[in-house]
Amino acid sequence: MFNKVLIANRGEIAVRIIRACRELGLETVAVFSEADRSALHVRYADEAYLLGPAPSRESYLRADKILEIARKSGADAIHPGYGFLAEREDFAAKCADMGITFIGPKPSSIAAMGDKGKARATVIKAGVPVVPGTEDVGNMTNDDLLRIAPTIGFPLLIKATAGGGGKGMREVRSIEEMPTLLASARREAESAFGDGNVYLEKLVEGARHIEFQIMADSQGNVIHLGERECSIQRRHQKLLEESPSSFIDDELREKMGSVAVKSAQAVDYVNAGTIEFLVDKDRNFYFLEMNTRLQVEHPITEMVTGVDIVAEQLRIARGRQMSYTQEQIQMKGHAIECRVNAEDPFNGFMPSTGRITHSILPTGPGVRVDTGVYLGFEITPFYDPMIAKLIVWGETRAQAILRMRRALEEYRIVGVRTNIPFHQTLMDSHRFMGGQFDTRFVEERFSMETASETDPAQAEIAAILATLVAHQQNERSAHIVRRNERDTSNWKWVGRWERMHR
Amino acid sequence: MRYVTTVDDKEFEIEIVDDHHIRIGERLLTVDFETVGGQPVFSLILDGKSYESFVYQGDEDWEVLLRGRQFQVKIEDEREKRLKAAAGGGVSEGGEFHLKAPMPGLVVSVLVEEGQSVTKGQVMLILESMKMQNELKAPRDGVIGRVRVKAGESVEQKQAMLSLH
Repeated sequence: MFNKVLIANRGEIAVRIIRACRELGLETVAVFSEADRSALHVRYADEAYLLGPAPSRESYLRADKILEIARKSGADAIHPGYGFLAEREDFAAKCADMGITFIGPKPSSIAAMGDKGKARATVIKAGVPVVPGTEDVGNMTNDDLLRIAPTIGFPLLIKATAGGGGKGMREVRSIEEMPTLLASARREAESAFGDGNVYLEKLVEGARHIEFQIMADSQGNVIHLGERECSIQRRHQKLLEESPSSFIDDELREKMGSVAVKSAQAVDYVNAGTIEFLVDKDRNFYFLEMNTRLQVEHPITEMVTGVDIVAEQLRIARGRQMSYTQEQIQMKGHAIECRVNAEDPFNGFMPSTGRITHSILPTGPGVRVDTGVYLGFEITPFYDPMIAKLIVWGETRAQAILRMRRALEEYRIVGVRTNIPFHQTLMDSHRFMGGQFDTRFVEERFSMETASETDPAQAEIAAILATLVAHQQNERSAHIVRRNERDTSNWKWVGRWERMHR
Repeated sequence: MRYVTTVDDKEFEIEIVDDHHIRIGERLLTVDFETVGGQPVFSLILDGKSYESFVYQGDEDWEVLLRGRQFQVKIEDEREKRLKAAAGGGVSEGGEFHLKAPMPGLVVSVLVEEGQSVTKGQVMLILESMKMQNELKAPRDGVIGRVRVKAGESVEQKQAMLSLH
């Protein structure tokens, strides 16, 4: 039984975990980098300790420092969140050595699922269907891979063995372009995970990405909490998730859910985890990988099942039985999550950095926002571009879409460009409304321009707005030139001038 | 003051009559226009209809973000427009291209060297920011001029990294 939890993460997920701890009466310890001194998780936690400079390698990835802080502060449990140290078996093992509860699976489960090659081999043994690809595990050379590629067939995917989040992943259409792509995939994997190993997998075309949330306790109970549809992606980064998937009926849900449970059991899994599947046009499904941690998009499952997944994680880590049996899990209504990223959708989704100078969060019925930023906070280039998750719930998918549309329009963030307009355009897209999309939809059949035709009345409003702003600015500069004609006191004028140029 | 404002090739003649009135073509409209907290968020009540929008000033154009749509807006006052018409068009083609960092980040590798010929679309440099590697490509054929950055170097947004003749 632990009483004080160190959260080895930052941003919205650190805040999310602190909230669950608070509700359960557990004390919280935050850790932070120099760039995050004023971050929300630092302000919300009971205790906070500096890790080091801004780059992750010198802060949030410093397992040694984090364990030292845990010891010093008397934290007897660590929640790793997602990313950073969440799927590092050595870190989980070190926690155990120090008598600290790692809120997550056993190191052996992380290892078994963390290496994508081994994971495939393990679940194949358990009778779980996988996408055809390289069966061999370990350090395959470029020569090996180039030789095997034609037997798998093109198009195929190069994937990082240690990978996740689309990093180190490349799509290959022909053998000719493969050497270059291998080099760049290895380079990206090396820089993201410190491991340049890659493997090959057949590219399932027209596929959907659908995942199952599972939970397992140390008494050996394993349940699933239904699926999440995650096909709306760009460069293999999820942008929007929804639950349930409109592609899946009760029968398929039950089948996939039981395979998900079987996959978790194959690695003797404990705590919350996610089994990712590819589902092809004919509703054949293949195991893709298991994420042995809390997932970014867990809130949509919470919205439709009513289960507080983080609270359950804490309960399971304390050695208690889960609060639910499979029969008690009912999906009600429909939830959608939009990932709000500091990226400019009108400029090739370029990352955008800066200080948030204005922020209004959407609220109202059925709306939840998980975020770690606030007015005055600086978005730095050191971490993930995701600044908030906007989650809505509705009785039906249609109501959820309408609600999301309303919430997106309410959301105001100034200081960085965000992808909110992307989500707005998506909500208006007929294909999205009709549930007709696969993992290629955003990249191949979606455009910020063509999704809705320009309304001439809107163009006129835009013209008026811009002209009024330009005019206001002209007037101001004219004011500055005509110094003697000032109608206010010099002090007032200086004050205004400084504000204007700040 | 009169302005000629262009949105997506469509021209609007807008006259600012006084603080509360504008004229578009023949129509006289009542406006109530405010910045929201001094931010680039603006609130406009136009003949009773309420709009809220982001208005950003770009290098040359303005960008208006309205209900999830972005409009590129060009604004000229009448005087500017006449001057331009008198001077004639004739923007010079080619010239030097400076590759500037589109965002702050870390130069992962520089794939070209000074004096090297490149073709349009060729990757010149890889910049890492927010954990993603971004390939920066040549916008046209040309010869690399000065290379100002090395792999491993951090760059600020808009910092010139290399030039292309």
